[in-house]
Amino acid sequence: MESGDMIQDRMRARDAAMRLLNRLTAGAAVSAVVGVGLLGAIGAYTIPGTASTSTSTASSSSSTSSSSGLQTSTTPVTSSSSSGVAVSGGS
Amino acid sequence: MNNALLWYATRGAGAVSLVLLSAVVVLGILSVLRVQSTGWPRFLTVGLHRNLALMTLVFLALHIITAVVDPFTHLGWLAAVVPFSSHYRTFWLGLGTIAFELLLAVVLTSLVRGLIGQSAWRLVHWLTYACWPIAVLHGVGTGTDAWSAWLFTLQAICVVAVLAAIAYRLMAGSRDPLARERSSFLAAVDRREER
Repeated sequence: MESGDMIQDRMRARDAAMRLLNRLTAGAAVSAVVGVGLLGAIGAYTIPGTASTSTSTASSSSSTSSSSGLQTSTTPVTSSSSSGVAVSGGS
Repeated sequence: MNNALLWYATRGAGAVSLVLLSAVVVLGILSVLRVQSTGWPRFLTVGLHRNLALMTLVFLALHIITAVVDPFTHLGWLAAVVPFSSHYRTFWLGLGTIAFELLLAVVLTSLVRGLIGQSAWRLVHWLTYACWPIAVLHGVGTGTDAWSAWLFTLQAICVVAVLAAIAYRLMAGSRDPLARERSSFLAAVDRREER
């Protein structure tokens, strides 16, 4: 048979454990929220993703294409002074 | 919301979910082993195991929602529910869907444990041993940061922690406090039947 003091001690120990459980749960929740932000930031720093890729694509494409989307010719364009040829038909 | 922010949130929430799930698995194994001390009663392990499992579901939901609404991948809600239905990284995302559904089954059956009975609950709870490695594989296969030093270290810590807990579980054997009484009772019954 347990004495009153022993029962009181067990109740106090249980209350203390419950408080510890609540603190640990709250701590884990806060840590997890902070973790999402922190790990997301680390991920963004290490692999920033689309931002840098699109910039490089834009800069590389601008060097090879004109504003109208036509590629510049690497061979020089020369003008022809010969007489025109009439073409009929076609659609 | 900025698309890049969604993508960063997906990656962060995925990593946190893996850490939480690993902690849940370790605590589950420790609760089976009835680990306790003066300042750490057994119900503390079980309570923390339950609370962290629910928390894992919340962060997993954040991971899934941010991934689905991210317009870059065009995953769609079907990919979050039906395994291997995504056009984007089909196999690895399918593993993630399976892991999520296994965890959902484990948590839901735990919440209605009183209704379904101990043996059915235990049977479903064994799925955790399938859920965790599938989730790790999903992270390794799908994760943008899988081979980044920080996530690789995080995954390695999770894997080592869970494997250590499983090894401890296998070495420690059953911690049933009535194991000796049960075996002696069964032996007595066997002797009586032999007569």
